[in-house]
Amino acid sequence: MSSLAPATRRVRDGLPDHLGATRESGPDPEVRLRVTPLAFERAAHLLRTAGARFITLFLADTPEPSLVGAFALRGALVMLRAPTAGADPVTYGSLSQNWPATCWAEQELVERFGVRPVGFSATRALTRPDADLIERHVHGADAFTIPYGPVRSGVFEAIQFQIETGGETVTSLQTRLFFKHRGLERRFVGMTPDRAVHVAERVAGIASVAYASAFSQAVERALDVTPTPNAERWRAVYAELERMAGHLDVIAKEAETTALYVGLARFQILKEQVTRLKARLTGSRFARGVIVPGGVRFEGRMGLDDLCRALDALEHDLVRDRRLFVQTASMTDRLIGAGFLSRDLVEEYAAVGPLARGSGVSTDARHERPYGDYRRLGLQVVTHREGDAMARINVRFGELFESLRILRQAIDHLRRNDHDLASPLPPAASGAAFGWSEAPQGELVVWAEVRDGLVHRVHLASPSLRNWALFDHAFPADVLTDFAFIEHSFGLTPAGADR
Amino acid sequence: MLRWLFRGLGQGRITTGYPREGAPSDDGFSGRILVLDAIGADRDLAQVCPTGAISVDPEGRVALDRGRCILCGECVRTAPTRFAFAARHETAARSRSALVVPREGIDEEEPARATLGELAPALRRSIHVRHIDCGSDGAEEWEIQALWNPYYDIQRLGFFLTPAPRHADVLLVTGGVTAPMRTPLERTWQVMPEPKALVAVGTDACSGGLAADGELVAGGVDQVLPVDVYVPGSPPSPIAILHGLMLAVGLLTERPVAA
Repeated sequence: MSSLAPATRRVRDGLPDHLGATRESGPDPEVRLRVTPLAFERAAHLLRTAGARFITLFLADTPEPSLVGAFALRGALVMLRAPTAGADPVTYGSLSQNWPATCWAEQELVERFGVRPVGFSATRALTRPDADLIERHVHGADAFTIPYGPVRSGVFEAIQFQIETGGETVTSLQTRLFFKHRGLERRFVGMTPDRAVHVAERVAGIASVAYASAFSQAVERALDVTPTPNAERWRAVYAELERMAGHLDVIAKEAETTALYVGLARFQILKEQVTRLKARLTGSRFARGVIVPGGVRFEGRMGLDDLCRALDALEHDLVRDRRLFVQTASMTDRLIGAGFLSRDLVEEYAAVGPLARGSGVSTDARHERPYGDYRRLGLQVVTHREGDAMARINVRFGELFESLRILRQAIDHLRRNDHDLASPLPPAASGAAFGWSEAPQGELVVWAEVRDGLVHRVHLASPSLRNWALFDHAFPADVLTDFAFIEHSFGLTPAGADR
Repeated sequence: MLRWLFRGLGQGRITTGYPREGAPSDDGFSGRILVLDAIGADRDLAQVCPTGAISVDPEGRVALDRGRCILCGECVRTAPTRFAFAARHETAARSRSALVVPREGIDEEEPARATLGELAPALRRSIHVRHIDCGSDGAEEWEIQALWNPYYDIQRLGFFLTPAPRHADVLLVTGGVTAPMRTPLERTWQVMPEPKALVAVGTDACSGGLAADGELVAGGVDQVLPVDVYVPGSPPSPIAILHGLMLAVGLLTERPVAA
């Protein structure tokens, strides 16, 4: 692994004493710390004070049954572990009472794994949604509640929003997830890593590459395998194509919502072209079946010159379509000022991805903890400070061009490349580690435990679940007709959130 | 607005000629697995498939259930002489059993349900489609949405998306039906007027796919409601879904599935 940045090294060296924790060995840039369950809450809050961004909370089984919190701090991924040996139920001081970012992660632990944090309370079930349950918080002569979903107009994934309104202004909003929980974390168990990656690819279809590479990276780090540079480059190529398709989809949906039909058609055409590039490279329109722990299964099946020409044509069109989009007042009027999220709110909820970058928070897993080919590729993190739907769209426009730039760099590297596909995984090996990637929706973190060559446990910290907690707060002064604009500007996927 | 108009006109025509012309075959999409050699296989071959789509009978004959296949390619890598990817889009079939290949002899024609198929001439050029997600991975939704993009433009064939199930002729179902989605699915189907057809889109909807044990109410949509057309694939391409839609409304007769 690469040497640590000075700030990250200071975190690694100073944190154990600061938190009163014992440092354990782990692959860089993980900083693994052990505390007692009693000290867990205090250590977590000290991390928060030190500026750490909360990632996830889960139960691990390696090296022993433990409660684990994961945090991002100055280029380090801090793993705070409290052994729970034999404790039933697992108990610790609740984090979520005054730390909004931890709410849903903690509630999932309570509802699905029977953990009992002291002081925990919740107003409604998170993981067992009931489509018919209508809760009214707003009362008054004209107040009413719209249960929107889980069967929605148009072709959308299953999710429900309960929108309370007095007629125009959205007074209160509640997002209900877990309509499509498929238990995929359990589905990994007992498979060999090269087969389990098929499950990873099908957690969130529109982020197949992100999930496949984060899972593969977790396994590689757990088993101390270095993927071939060639494979890392191809992974970056697929990841950037996937990001482009995702961002173009969001922009096309915004155009559709304003009934800007030529704009819709233009961005759909670009998205379809990117999708077909993935198909020509891998045989799958979602680039499935190519990434595998250790490397890739085959090289792209399209000539690099052809790929470059296709990207040039895409960029030529994208420049013109973007210019038209941002100059169309009927489009931008609906986005500017809609769904305002302050920087403080975004940080309080530890949001990630284009959502956070639209509120001026410069967080990007490719930049914070460079992985794979991103250690060699120059990357400019695109941020906008306005915090509204327009800012989130502008971030995506910026990232589309940034992706094209990264793709060209990666292709240049591929030209003078060996053609090694994958490093072999040691048979019957064991280990546990985090892997991560920047999905189109934001930072994805995967925890994978391997025992005797088989996947033993997997935890997925999806960007969609973490970002959705903010949606309830994205209507400070917005009206009902802004709903679709704000929802699309989030660009999340229920499949990833529900798993 | 005028500039958008010129921008749109400047593109020229890109829409596929499907189904008048054949599906594009040069786009690299591998839509199905072929069984090249079904004789004399080892019993262990069935273990290769993570979703149990491959079975081997006591005489060593191989059968592949495309309704369970997620196109992961494990079988192609393990036994390249027996299995191969094929660049063909159309995978849809009117019955679950027709998805199992290779098929022996000619299947007796499944009794076509007296629904849309027979009334299709009256409904032609105006089929209203409704979609419901019962636990997909989200990729199927993208591919269904793509049907309305300029490359596929299925409005030219008379398919329209409707937000109201009460106006719908065809229901597209994705996902293997999770517990919280069972009631919404049943209600959506109930309020649709007769005649109506149900299309299961994706391997998850056909058989349950990769979900963990005990998370789905049933393995596949047909355990909850009668399915008229199965479109396997993980996910099926827009052309494959279009093929399934046309099978559902009787615009096409099922083409024999190549062995």
